Amino acid sequence: MNAIRNPQGLTNLEGHTDFDITWPWNRPGGLRAGATAVLRVKDEAPSLPFVLPPLLRATDHVIVVDNGSTDGTPEVAAETAAKAGLADKLTQASYPFEVARAGAEHLGQHELSVHSLSYFYNWCFSLVQTRYSWKWDGDMVLTTEGEVSLSDLTWQIGGVQSIIRVPRHGLYLDSDSHGYLDLGLRNAEEWGYPVGPDFVFTKAFEWEIRSTPEQCRSIGLPQGLCVELKYLDGDEFAHWTDPESFATSWRNRRKRREWAVFHALKEGQLPPGVHEITAPDGVHIVDHVTKTWLPRAPRPLEVG
Amino acid sequence: MSAQPDAFTVPADPDPMSYDRKVLFVAGAGRSGTSTMAGLMKIMGLHVPQPEVEPDETNPKGFAEPAWAVEHHSRLLREAVVQVSDSRPDAWFETGRVSTREPERIRTAEWLEGHFAVNPELVVKDPRLSWFLSLWRVAAIRCGATPVFATMLRPPSEVVGSKQKYYANRLGSAHLAASWLNMLLHTERATRESVADGGRVFIRYGDLLDDWTKAVMYTGEQLGLQHILHAKSERIRDAHRFVDPGLRRVSGSLDDLGLPKRLHELVADTWTELNKLADEGGDTPEVHEALDQLREGYVELYEESEAISRSSVVAAEQKTRRGREKPGKEGAAPVEAGEPSYAADKLPHGLRAAIPPGVRRGLRKAVGRER
Repeated sequence: MNAIRNPQGLTNLEGHTDFDITWPWNRPGGLRAGATAVLRVKDEAPSLPFVLPPLLRATDHVIVVDNGSTDGTPEVAAETAAKAGLADKLTQASYPFEVARAGAEHLGQHELSVHSLSYFYNWCFSLVQTRYSWKWDGDMVLTTEGEVSLSDLTWQIGGVQSIIRVPRHGLYLDSDSHGYLDLGLRNAEEWGYPVGPDFVFTKAFEWEIRSTPEQCRSIGLPQGLCVELKYLDGDEFAHWTDPESFATSWRNRRKRREWAVFHALKEGQLPPGVHEITAPDGVHIVDHVTKTWLPRAPRPLEVG
Repeated sequence: MSAQPDAFTVPADPDPMSYDRKVLFVAGAGRSGTSTMAGLMKIMGLHVPQPEVEPDETNPKGFAEPAWAVEHHSRLLREAVVQVSDSRPDAWFETGRVSTREPERIRTAEWLEGHFAVNPELVVKDPRLSWFLSLWRVAAIRCGATPVFATMLRPPSEVVGSKQKYYANRLGSAHLAASWLNMLLHTERATRESVADGGRVFIRYGDLLDDWTKAVMYTGEQLGLQHILHAKSERIRDAHRFVDPGLRRVSGSLDDLGLPKRLHELVADTWTELNKLADEGGDTPEVHEALDQLREGYVELYEESEAISRSSVVAAEQKTRRGREKPGKEGAAPVEAGEPSYAADKLPHGLRAAIPPGVRRGLRKAVGRER
């Protein structure tokens, strides 16, 4: 039994009935028009002040699900939304179970366990009340062009059953004014999905995967619309079982690239395709890259 | 006590090339006064990228439409398989999808960039524009310009009547009214404040014809258009010569259109809410919410109508397929050997050859024909 064969919802193996899942389209009243971004976060307090404002502006609603943060992530999320004047668009929730890390740990979990990434995702997305959804990470920041693109697609998509792929680029930070933008890898993942029985999370080898009908439309956004923050003084690979987990398969090429770039930069090397960027005085490096450097970079953006 | 010498200093004429880059997009349904608005902006000194579409009998004062934008939009509409007066709510995703393509973003931004060299304040107008506002917004961002929007409002009964009169539109008024709803409800949504924008205004066509000075100055102040704020007397005289209240040649009431009841109600309610946006201080979250509900209502009505009329679609598909299958089928006239069965085949070879290969491919694709 798995998620895609349960038309009503999901019951977890551990018997935590308060965390059983009712599919949102089965709830009284069904789904309303619009798009919701869902973020599953753990210790993302430093990133959320950059991540949330453009996302709150671009979508109809944002759901932040905290999974055991110890750095005040929920408080920062609330403060950021309030500061942006968009507190009414933010919903927060907490998922109390330890979730298997990507790789071997994930593979070992049954997808109906509360510890499974798939179950965690399905629970988070069951909170969505709109017909479209964006899967988002707590460290992904939209550029100005990315924000307006997402904002327009959020209403244009209507009832169309289409997936939307969003390219993103690693932005490695070593201070508030200095960082490295990795344009050395072409990578676009599926982040926008309709909400409905054809699009639920199930299990893949290293992580979760979202089911789709056989004939499903998919469109991709251009490069240069989103960066993923990486802190050179942090542990960016804690959500993986171990580096061996992404050492072999083509599926993990992004993670391998991140590993290589992260360690090269730590050792003072500048890998090919990586741009060293310094922000002007008084401007934060993340703001500079997302509001000026990337929006004004010559097109087509040279990536990969 | 003597006045400070600075008080008597005459300020120098502002240099228009020093103005911040701004592009005004004039949106709205066709026959809603968009040409009058864009024409006035041009007279005030904003630049309509050249060359423009030539005036004709449907619009003797001119369209103030950049020819490139018209061709660009027409091509993109064909690629998205969307009509100018498309009433399908899903059509917005089709044009939105095309607008995310990097080559189109590059092409649009490069065109815009070239015209900023002439004047930092541009005006772009085309009845197809609303379908591609997201594309233009991105192009403006890439040029370091601020996009601003003016949407023209004209009573739907007049728009539908005008379209039928001037474009010999044989489609029913229900379709035209639905197209108007689809266009206006989504244009309003598309122009809501985004991080890149410099504001928007809604202008009633009637107000513009009644007292253009008030409507134009309101537009200039709300959107920070420097050419309007600093317009000189001769431009104002020109504008008076340009605006002809007699342009509003079609009138009538919604009742005259004989629309189905629910469609009638949606059109009437939408018009009421849109009107509020044209009042000073009327662009409020409450009105947005009301329009969101009306948009939902329209989507629901369209989906229901689509479901009810599914048999018509299936029959039309079958008819098209049968037309392609040619001889020997029941009801189909036998086609003799060598007789052209497609319109294109009836054209002389020389004329066919004059059509660019890309367009020929597009036409073949549109009629579902292999080479």
